Amino acid sequence: MKLLIIEDEQGLNASMVSYLQQGGYTCDAALNYRDGARMLADQHYTCVLVDLTLPGGSGLDLVRLLKKNSPDTGIIIISAKNALDDKITGLELGADDYLTKPFHLSELNARLRSVIRRRNFNGQKVIQIGSLEVHPDSAEALVQGRKLTLTKKEYDLLLYFVTNKNRVLTKDSIAEHLWGDHIETLDSLDFVYTHIKNLRRKIVEAGGEDPITTVYGMGYKFSF
Amino acid sequence: MRILTKTSLYYLLVSVIVFLLGGLSFYKILQTEIYDEVDDQLFTDKENIIEYIRRHNELPSVTSGISEAIIVRETSANAGALEALSDTLIFSTYDEEYVPFRKLTFTTYQDGKPFEYTILKSLMDFEDLFESTMLAMAWIFVLLLVGLAGVNYFINKYNWRNFYDTLERAKRYSLTQRKPLVLKPSNTQEFQELNEVLQAMTGKIHNDYLNLKEFTENASHEIQTPLAIVSNKLELFMQSDNLTMQQAAMLDEMHASINRLSRLNRSLILLTRIENREFSENEVIPLHELLQEQLDQLQEMMQMHDIQVEIEAMQPVFVEMNTGLCEILISNLLLNAIRHNSTGGIIRINLQADELCIKNSGEALQDEPVSLFERFRSGGKFSGSLGIGLALVSKISELYQLQPSYTYEEGLHVLRLNFQKKIA
Repeated sequence: MKLLIIEDEQGLNASMVSYLQQGGYTCDAALNYRDGARMLADQHYTCVLVDLTLPGGSGLDLVRLLKKNSPDTGIIIISAKNALDDKITGLELGADDYLTKPFHLSELNARLRSVIRRRNFNGQKVIQIGSLEVHPDSAEALVQGRKLTLTKKEYDLLLYFVTNKNRVLTKDSIAEHLWGDHIETLDSLDFVYTHIKNLRRKIVEAGGEDPITTVYGMGYKFSF
Repeated sequence: MRILTKTSLYYLLVSVIVFLLGGLSFYKILQTEIYDEVDDQLFTDKENIIEYIRRHNELPSVTSGISEAIIVRETSANAGALEALSDTLIFSTYDEEYVPFRKLTFTTYQDGKPFEYTILKSLMDFEDLFESTMLAMAWIFVLLLVGLAGVNYFINKYNWRNFYDTLERAKRYSLTQRKPLVLKPSNTQEFQELNEVLQAMTGKIHNDYLNLKEFTENASHEIQTPLAIVSNKLELFMQSDNLTMQQAAMLDEMHASINRLSRLNRSLILLTRIENREFSENEVIPLHELLQEQLDQLQEMMQMHDIQVEIEAMQPVFVEMNTGLCEILISNLLLNAIRHNSTGGIIRINLQADELCIKNSGEALQDEPVSLFERFRSGGKFSGSLGIGLALVSKISELYQLQPSYTYEEGLHVLRLNFQKKIA
């Protein structure tokens, strides 16, 4: 799967490319509007990540261009502007998602996966890792053919882990993924711990191996 | 007291004093003049009588003369010569009242025999004249007073109109409005100067405010990108396989701090945007549904803290607000009620037609309730919170005039919002 990342900030662009490449994507990078437009014209991408404020033009124009020329390409807008107007305009123009800087790379990855999954109608709908199967359409997970009874949050957590498998996920990024802005509330990190504990238990009880390892107290890693 | 009332009152006071003093001296002068006149007449009569006796050597007939009555009485020799002037009251059977008289009593001799003469002169005519003069004076006084006070009032009002206009505009002036303070030019020098000073001052303040605001906005926005870079690089760093325990711990702390900074910055940007009135698109929101939704979302957290929710009332209320802001408002209120609760505590929710009341158990505040809505105010023991939640509540409430209030009643923190002005 081929991605194009159009982001003028070199450091940020490189991080995204690096993280996504590790996830098995092929990534192209553009640092300005002109390059971005040229690359979009030359090649076909599965998904494009585009910053709104670019040297030489607006990312919104690129979104319009994409919608016209290659409507099946997924689009995620990345912006430092948390302006509601831009968000609405972007989504109305046909962008699939909108991320505000700063964001967690793992969150970006999860959103990207979700966009690709939604767009890829013909593709394989089930995520299979070893004996673990996740069906995003029905929000179900099976271990060795046995269905796991998961709460909404536990399922979200599992999907987040599965999307970012073999990566260290920080407690903060998990908490933010699960609770969004409510993360400010006391003890959200304890909730993360509780949910992970329950998820582990349910997978083990269903006959699977414990897939989650704690990494130096820094975060969690999922590998099945 | 208004300056117009004040000057009018001073004016009246001075006028009253002047007129009273004037009236009093007028009264005194008039009285002296009248007495002089009457006394002159009495003495003229006396001179005439004495002259008559000297010339004719007999007593004159008593009714003649300018005066009203002349009484003659033979007196004993040893009474001695006497001349006295006095006031007296004589009962008039016609008017059935006492009438004031001026009386001159003197002794004269005819053939060596003493006679006592008493000449009486009624003061009635003079009294009448006196009274009507005083009445006329009083009328002039009242009319003059009213007229002058009125003229004074209107002149003052006319003169001060520019001042009141300036005052009204200055009162309505708000820094957050983008318009500068424009004042009507005045041809009164002092008011024109006041206008110029005010305009220059507000212009300067407005500029400073805009600069500061722009700086804050730019800073907040510009910070986002470097924050994103640091945060993402740290995340990549964490994926390294050969980290030591210590390095991992440091990375974790850095990452957590960067996250906190990002969230803080995001909240500050949100606050600024509310201040800038960027959320102008309002919709009709079913507040009861939104509240229930938020409660459901937070249910998990409440269960973890063993907090019971009691819904006292949940009436259907529709308000006209920005959806995003309304959600932020409600969720922050609820989060606040959870955060400052005690384990096993309660949250009581009462949504009436125009008022939302959220009560939660918890220790009493040590601070002033007023500072509750300020930024960065957090109860000491929760270091994780930014204390910006209620500042957001306060800003949003201000935007929609919800008049938030806080009280502590029977061990419960009570926060109230009034939606009266926003009911759809």
